[in-house]
Amino acid sequence: MTTHAAPPLAQDVLTVTGLGVSVGDRSLVDNLDLTIRPGERVGLIGESGSGKSLTALALMGLLPEGLAATGSVRVADVHHDIVGADENQLSRVRGNDIAMVFQEPMTALNPTMRVGAQVAEAMLIHGTRPTRRAAMSAAVDLLEQVGLPDPPGTARSYPHQLSGGQRQRVVVALALANDPALLICDEPTTALDVTVQALVLDLIVRGVIDRGAAMLFITHDLAVVATVCERVLVMYGGRIVEAGPVQQVFTRPRHRYTQGLLAASDLSVVDDRGRLATVPGTVPAAGQFPAGCVFRNRCGHATDVCASTPAWTGQDASDGFACHHPAPASEVGHG
Amino acid sequence: MAEQSPAIRVRDLTRDYHRPRRSLLRASPPVHALRGVSFDVAPGERFGIVGESGCGKSTLLRLVSGLDRATSGSIEIEGREITHLSTRRLGFLRERLQLIFQDPMSSLDPRMRVADIIAEPMVGLRHPISPGRVEELLQAVGLSPEAATRFPHQFSGGQRQRISIARALSVKPQILVADEPVSALDVSVRAQVLNLIADLVDELALTLVFVSHDLSVVRHVCDRVAVMNEGQIVEMGPVDEVYENPQHPYTRELIAAVPTLDKALAGSGAADLAAPTGADQP
Repeated sequence: MTTHAAPPLAQDVLTVTGLGVSVGDRSLVDNLDLTIRPGERVGLIGESGSGKSLTALALMGLLPEGLAATGSVRVADVHHDIVGADENQLSRVRGNDIAMVFQEPMTALNPTMRVGAQVAEAMLIHGTRPTRRAAMSAAVDLLEQVGLPDPPGTARSYPHQLSGGQRQRVVVALALANDPALLICDEPTTALDVTVQALVLDLIVRGVIDRGAAMLFITHDLAVVATVCERVLVMYGGRIVEAGPVQQVFTRPRHRYTQGLLAASDLSVVDDRGRLATVPGTVPAAGQFPAGCVFRNRCGHATDVCASTPAWTGQDASDGFACHHPAPASEVGHG
Repeated sequence: MAEQSPAIRVRDLTRDYHRPRRSLLRASPPVHALRGVSFDVAPGERFGIVGESGCGKSTLLRLVSGLDRATSGSIEIEGREITHLSTRRLGFLRERLQLIFQDPMSSLDPRMRVADIIAEPMVGLRHPISPGRVEELLQAVGLSPEAATRFPHQFSGGQRQRISIARALSVKPQILVADEPVSALDVSVRAQVLNLIADLVDELALTLVFVSHDLSVVRHVCDRVAVMNEGQIVEMGPVDEVYENPQHPYTRELIAAVPTLDKALAGSGAADLAAPTGADQP
């Protein structure tokens, strides 16, 4: 099958156009556009059920059976589209051009294999080290780079002998082993304690900067995104509802959902009755979002116009919003 | 107030866990999950406990709610010592103290209807169940009366946590113990549940013990906080004081490591969060 999408420009690491994910006739991710340039750190935020993890899986060609992707996902130096590629093509891309850090470090590692051998395997499979011996010594170096104590000793341990934070460091070492052009992190620190989270975030950011790699960082934690990323996309109901530089989106949100999310996550501001700002209602189940604007059943500003899908306002897909009743541009603060 | 006995009084509490023997010659050293914890919670107070996984906060909660036995030390609930009581004699504790757990999915029986889940503590403690009581409880936590006939899987995480709260309140306890009640919830729903807990604690004049790993949530909810590390309380005081002017190095580390929007927008990156922690990384 030929794709009509133009090949990515030399400067873009990832070019996603019109990506959709659906199960049967139920759409879970709808018409997603995204471009990441080299060295750029982009955050994708959304609550559970917003479609952010599905987006990550679609970018890696890892969608579970029964889910179908449409649109185009092009990665620099890969001469085919990720969408529709066969398993052979994909396995050459995964772990080499694109690598991923998952949320749960226990299930991401093979419990029956020593961690050094797992890191070495990633390099041997893609042929980036000539021999097993070279790959093993490179693996020990990587374990040292991610700050694990006694790297040769750690390389000989099994995942269950390590703590959660140490395991996640191994996963980061594994992901960085082949100097990928793009690192996708899906909630990499959600299962970790705050002090360990701080160390792992620092490690990921340094690893990405040292390699000049691009990063897509997926999380529900606004503060983590603001700490780690330069640019952010806000996802709700399988759509990008707002995008832009972190400073702009988090201080002057335009979409009413972004505004509500920021207000609800700020625990230091209460009204005169000591109550926190809330977003009314709950996130609907997948495929149960209203037609038109996906947020309209929870939005205080919704009117009849919102039954039609709002158009994207802004210069391009990386900066703008989709809302019929946006917050005024001058409105300062968290809503 | 002064002569009233504290709602919870804990003195020199320790709990050791024994690990399986790994050698023929000697027993494995015990794990000291709690190492001499003491604190008082006054009636009507909102008391927070923060700490990271493995610090002993869950062990402490289990002991205070009579679900586990202390190795030594004493726990008094409203003036009554509970450490030496058999499970059969803990009935009064269940009347006075109820729990909300972290995971709203695994803490509700998936095969029971919501009405039965909420009524179960009343059945267990042989309270008379008036027909309107379940409806009244559902209303108090912001759920519609139709919820009574449905099953837990038909609800979202936030709604399930409301059901847990209704169940805990069914026997009209004086003390509510909440173990990470909002950690599993989405940001937009978290604020709703925190507001609900605050409203109910006010309305029913409850004593609240609120456990969390998230210092900013504790700061919003509680009056006083205890910071735990390695089985001990390393710092205790009014939340604002502990937050603004932490005395113990561990508290300082904990506060510095929490990413906040304000810090991040002021230009603080991942390296700044990790900086104070980096020196003694595991």
